[in-house]
Amino acid sequence: MKVLAIVAAALRRFVRERSNVFFVFILPLGIILLIGVQFGGEFRPTVGVHLAPGAGPVGTEVVRILGATDEVQVRAYDTEAELVDAVELGGLAAGVTVPGDLEATLAAGGAGEVGFVARPDGTGPQLAVVVQEAVAAATDTIAAARAAVELGVDPAAALELADSVEDAVPEIIVTTTTTGEELFAGVEGRFDTGAAGQLVLFTFLTGLAGSADLIQSRTLGVTRRIMGTPTSVGTIVTGEAMGRFAVVFAQALYILVATLLLFRVDWGDPVAAAAILVTFSAVGAGAAMLMGALFRNDAQAGSVGIMAGIGLAGIGGAMLPLELFSPTMQTVARFTPHAWALDAFAETVRRDGIVVDILPQLGVLAAFAVVLIAVASWRMRIVVTRA
Amino acid sequence: MGGNGPVLEAVGLRKRFGDLEAVRGVGFTIDPGETYGLLGPNGAGKTTTISMVSGLLEKDAGEVTIAGLPVTTTALEPKRLVGLVPQEVAIYPDLTARENLRFFGRLYEMTGKALAQRIDEVLAVIGLSDRADDRAKDFSGGMKRRLNIGIGLLHRPALLILDEPTVGVDPQSRNAILESIEELSAEGMAVLYTTHYMEEAERLCDRVGIIDQGEIRAEGTRRQLVESIGEQDRLRIEASGPLREVSARLGELPGVTGTSAGDGVVEVLADDGGAILSPALALLAAAGVAVSSVTIEEPDLEAVFLHLTGKALRD
Repeated sequence: MKVLAIVAAALRRFVRERSNVFFVFILPLGIILLIGVQFGGEFRPTVGVHLAPGAGPVGTEVVRILGATDEVQVRAYDTEAELVDAVELGGLAAGVTVPGDLEATLAAGGAGEVGFVARPDGTGPQLAVVVQEAVAAATDTIAAARAAVELGVDPAAALELADSVEDAVPEIIVTTTTTGEELFAGVEGRFDTGAAGQLVLFTFLTGLAGSADLIQSRTLGVTRRIMGTPTSVGTIVTGEAMGRFAVVFAQALYILVATLLLFRVDWGDPVAAAAILVTFSAVGAGAAMLMGALFRNDAQAGSVGIMAGIGLAGIGGAMLPLELFSPTMQTVARFTPHAWALDAFAETVRRDGIVVDILPQLGVLAAFAVVLIAVASWRMRIVVTRA
Repeated sequence: MGGNGPVLEAVGLRKRFGDLEAVRGVGFTIDPGETYGLLGPNGAGKTTTISMVSGLLEKDAGEVTIAGLPVTTTALEPKRLVGLVPQEVAIYPDLTARENLRFFGRLYEMTGKALAQRIDEVLAVIGLSDRADDRAKDFSGGMKRRLNIGIGLLHRPALLILDEPTVGVDPQSRNAILESIEELSAEGMAVLYTTHYMEEAERLCDRVGIIDQGEIRAEGTRRQLVESIGEQDRLRIEASGPLREVSARLGELPGVTGTSAGDGVVEVLADDGGAILSPALALLAAAGVAVSSVTIEEPDLEAVFLHLTGKALRD
């Protein structure tokens, strides 16, 4: 009963804090949305095309072939200057300029030139290959006809001959196979990639930030006053621990449910997801209690909490996927609860794991929680009786 | 409660913080319905004494019992009988007045309708019924103080302990707080009240313990304390007529210890100024003295404190 009263007060204070509306409810979803939009799902770079007057059918064919590929999407520009500006400012991945004399040059047997513009960084070099293939495809027939003319065939008949030859040449398909494990196999939705990382980051961060509430209770004299009621120290410490857990779990559950409903994020097996949430929230609650017992003022706890929350999230793979870490940093990451939680989510979301598949990760998270809560409770007993 | 004995009995309390012995053998008792004041300047040891009495602070030596139950930091039973109102405003600012009361009510093991009803009663007593559902952080300093007191009243304690409850409060709220305490005392609640305001101790307390440097220097009713230091009431009579002649005759009245006459003023020193007022006025009238005003200046606790410690309360 008394424990529940302390938990209810902790939750009320958490919900009433105005800054939490942004940092707890809006920001996590905003970042997941941003990551999903930027990195999730299919991505086709845009290539700008400027056809100078007189570029003729060859130019038009180049544009058509480019537009028909799966690799890029095409946007037309009226002037070459506009196209170059757009590339320079990053609005386009690359640009193609088809000169006005291309048709005439090719007809006269000359060497036509198509311009390709790209920034030195980004995907420019790869796109150059795509453009070269399109130009080659558009000019193959003309090249073949020109070869026929050089062999003495009438120019009009040579073009018909080249067309028929192109149709007759058997197509050669290059078959591509991959080896090794795909980094993010099983990640289907565009928001799935960042959701687990952000859940882990914000859950822990909210927990650490919440340690300020414990300190505020002491500085306001409320903790001392509670000691003046017929409430044992054990009940107070248990209540505060449960209160921290309730706040952290509420943050985690909110992100999970909101991303599930809004972004259709796949969280895998519900029981496994709940187990991860509970154990990781217990870790967050323990860390919050420890900070609340160690620091003297809430400003100290707030700044250290943010640094620790973001730092551990970075090391633990909540910001950049663990798969992209060096082997050394992957080992270092194992010292953070974040890495184990993310590993558990990877198992359930990407490989359809259930609770038994993530028992090792849950065990490590539980161990983190037990150690943190035990140390924090010992420290809190001292602090509360001195309050 | 334990029979008809005192609600609170403290004997030989001692507490040391490093080199400083904050409380040195303090002891006092409070009977049911009695308001006992601990009067002393800041740093006198009032809050440390209260902390030991309410089981918040471990004693180095001494004993405290509440209704016969020994008080320790771990004993919960005596804490059920105490309503503690700390010096700081110990409430959650993000919660409403009602939520703060409900929270502490649950810690005092109150539930359901009984708790809800008692909360409404307490809100009425502290004058916050119309602001019950507003957050405490939006309250004025006086309203927060009243809520601070209300929490201490929730479970109808046998002993209400108030540690300087009017510090930093505007005069209007201060008066409201003092009136509430007077009403509670009239209803039979024992009150332990610490203050460094002499006027509050005089107004509220049946008995006062004057505490300085961790020791109770004197204890008793206001009258007893004043008498103990030999201080007397002073009648100041502004009048016209044969003042020097009448002054000598006033000195012959029973209880009068001295007189003096000056320019339009006669001053009379007496054990009890009120008791000699009537015969003094009769004597003046008979002597043909025209009295324009009479004031009785009673020695106060400030004078007692000054006499006992050699310094003023606010030093």
